[in-house]
Amino acid sequence: MATLLQQLINGLVLGAAIALIALGYTMVYGIIQLINFAHGEVFMVGGFASLATYSYVLPDSWKSDWYLALPLMAVGGALVAVVLAVIMERFAYRPLRNAPRLAPLITALGVSVVLKEAVRLWYPGATAPVPYPRAFVDKQFSVEAFGGRITIGSTALLMIAVSLIGAVVLQTYISRSRMGRAMRATAQDPDTARLMGVNPNRTIVLTFAIGAALAGIAGVLYGIHYTNVDTEVGFLYGIFAFTAAVLGGVGSIKGAVIGGFAIGLIKSLAGQYLPGGTSYDLVWIFILLIVVLVFRPQGLFGEPERVRA
Amino acid sequence: MSQLKDVLKPGLARPLAVGGGVLAVIAALLPWVTYKFAQYGGDNYPAAASLQFFDAPFQLEGYRLHTLILGVVVVVVALAPVPARHRVLRALGWGLVAVGVINTVFAAVEGGGLGAVTAADGAIAFGGFACVVAGVLAILAGIAGGIEHVHVWRAKVATPVAYLVLLVSFVVLLLLVAMMLNAGGQGGVGNPYAGPIFLSLLGFLAGALGALHGVGLTGWISKLSDQHKVFSVAVLVLCALALPFTEAGTDYWMTTAANIGIYAATAIGLNIVVGLAGLLDLGYVAFLGIGAFVAANFSGAAAAAFGVELPFVLAAIIAAVVAGIFGAIVGSPTLRVRGDYLAIVTLAFGEIFKKAAQNNIGGLTGGANAIPNVPPINWFGQSFDKSLTIGSLELPSGVLYYVLIIVLVALVMVVFANLKNARIGRAWIAIREDEDAARAMGIKTGQAKILAFLIGATLAGLAGAVFAHKTSTVAYDSFQFIESVTLLAAVILGGMGSIPGAVLGAALLLVLPEKLREFSDYRLMLFGLALILIMRFRPQGLVPDRHRRAELADEGAEGVPIEELNVHDTPGGSTAVAR
Repeated sequence: MATLLQQLINGLVLGAAIALIALGYTMVYGIIQLINFAHGEVFMVGGFASLATYSYVLPDSWKSDWYLALPLMAVGGALVAVVLAVIMERFAYRPLRNAPRLAPLITALGVSVVLKEAVRLWYPGATAPVPYPRAFVDKQFSVEAFGGRITIGSTALLMIAVSLIGAVVLQTYISRSRMGRAMRATAQDPDTARLMGVNPNRTIVLTFAIGAALAGIAGVLYGIHYTNVDTEVGFLYGIFAFTAAVLGGVGSIKGAVIGGFAIGLIKSLAGQYLPGGTSYDLVWIFILLIVVLVFRPQGLFGEPERVRA
Repeated sequence: MSQLKDVLKPGLARPLAVGGGVLAVIAALLPWVTYKFAQYGGDNYPAAASLQFFDAPFQLEGYRLHTLILGVVVVVVALAPVPARHRVLRALGWGLVAVGVINTVFAAVEGGGLGAVTAADGAIAFGGFACVVAGVLAILAGIAGGIEHVHVWRAKVATPVAYLVLLVSFVVLLLLVAMMLNAGGQGGVGNPYAGPIFLSLLGFLAGALGALHGVGLTGWISKLSDQHKVFSVAVLVLCALALPFTEAGTDYWMTTAANIGIYAATAIGLNIVVGLAGLLDLGYVAFLGIGAFVAANFSGAAAAAFGVELPFVLAAIIAAVVAGIFGAIVGSPTLRVRGDYLAIVTLAFGEIFKKAAQNNIGGLTGGANAIPNVPPINWFGQSFDKSLTIGSLELPSGVLYYVLIIVLVALVMVVFANLKNARIGRAWIAIREDEDAARAMGIKTGQAKILAFLIGATLAGLAGAVFAHKTSTVAYDSFQFIESVTLLAAVILGGMGSIPGAVLGAALLLVLPEKLREFSDYRLMLFGLALILIMRFRPQGLVPDRHRRAELADEGAEGVPIEELNVHDTPGGSTAVAR
């Protein structure tokens, strides 16, 4: 019982990171129907950029105070991620806006390979996992219950809190603000939105930027919780997040968060209880992805896909 | 671009071209940058780069010879009545630019700076710069004169003449391939020159080929080979089989060529799925892996799950069938899933395969230990990994695998070509263009799509069986996501739905890393960049599928005849425009 609870907690923490990344997937897909395959790599770059902020930018005296270091690292990670996403959108995806649908997907694949290789080649030591500083209060809370010990760390709590708050803020922004309305209008019909005075290009760039900022922040949180980053996580978490977005229903904020937590839970529970253990936990997620895409492509909370011209 | 055209009056074309050509000839005789590589016996890049004309006026070689040839041809083209003159000039110009840039940048960046080999030849070796300027002049001349359409030869020739022309062109092709493989020697730490010398030759040949294409020669030859299909396929196969007898007939190149063949066969299989049926598959390498593991398990290797040693042909058939069955399974979601969602489903299947293989599922894959020591194919007492002696002629080891692969690729090409023009092939293309319309026309789309996956996977499985015996170790990490991306890149680079395209794409993607060992770290990054740039500038690939609009090229949509639109690009250029 204690093991189950512990696995549930581990799953929620993992799910929080996935949910933050999935938000970017779901927003971009919602607005231009592009599977931004490179989004997972943006998350990875965010992790490395915040690490670089810590190692090369912050003065030594600030590094021990997490309330100075952590926000600045988050800003650094998010900033680099945003710049990257804007460049990506402008030079790789926008020229293909009216191309047949497979073209941007293949481009996204190319972008993803380039980003991963760029970090692997040019970030010092990134050919192996790079240790991440403990830039946040490192405290374990544990209780004795159900005949065992259940532990949750301060970084884990931070991760869950940030992803929930992020989702709520984003949901409010999209449903209440002027730009949010522009996003929804562009998603429904870019041409009509333009007639109504919305600048679709600006709106799309903003969507990319918000998604990238969340991914960058997820990168920082991932780093401080798992205490290392490596270039492989981008692909893996990209797939997790995509699965989460699809499971929740692409285009739905609520769906992405619930999907993210669901994927996290499935991974940690499958690793514990299903045959094959942790060596097959990814396989279960991939099987889930296939099953959802085949039998309920609109996901749990999404609307059935519109027929697009 | 339009401002440029305003400045460049058509009258400027000839003087610009003549100036460019003469400058190129001069450039060939000027000192070029060079650099002594300590690790290569202190030799200069490429041997004599200083002003040598006065020592040995008629012994220009290597890139200097190429520059001279291009320059002379530019002058001739500018003055003689040549069809599609300005298109030809532009192609030649790009060739000059490529040769100049590659040779200058390489030596300069590797530490030679801009100096010539001896101070007497000058502190700045401007040969390369002159060459680039000459190229730019030729390109400008082309733009000034207005780029014409590709010239079309309508000459009809008697069959024997056509046979002769085809024979000569394929033999020339064979010799060029051998020359290219040999250019600069093997890549590696011991030979940093291989890459740039090879690239420089590639630039030269691409410029020359672009020029010939503009004149209409290549179009004519390909029309002839279309008319005499059986003959040209036979000659092409014979030429491929003759490669071991040329200067490229070394152990090393035979092994590389066999690898290219395996990838090419797989890429053609993928081309059925992606190029014809328009279904993006991101986990395709799994079928190669399934074929390889099946063949390895029936090979009698010590680590194999089954203690039987089946003859290779039988094992290959089983491998193909098993891969085909998995292909149908992977393809079955196509009944409900479309477009980019389908791509993700195939990716998920590919990852499941990798994970299963990594964990030694059912004891079939050896997991992290792989299945080592798969014995080589052995027919009539001749082991395929040994060298072969015919009479007094000793052929390099690996030549038998090469021959086997050539036969396999030829077989796969025949299958592909026939399928493409058969009822099922037309059904695939219809599905690619518009699935709903295809269904309305009575095509059983579900069946057709699953069949595409099944046949594609079967071909990959067959290639996998050869792969298992040839590499002798079958490990899960040969079949990762990035290999699927490489195969996809080969198909897209070559041109979706085009057979020669898939072979050319696979060849380029495997030969370049061999030549550019120095830059092997950047291999994957260059693949990624290539994918982005091709999608952006030339979605139809290097050798576009001529007759049908590729899924990814949206040219031809405005009611302009496809033949008009099939604007072939000059090598190195990126200005394919629909007009």
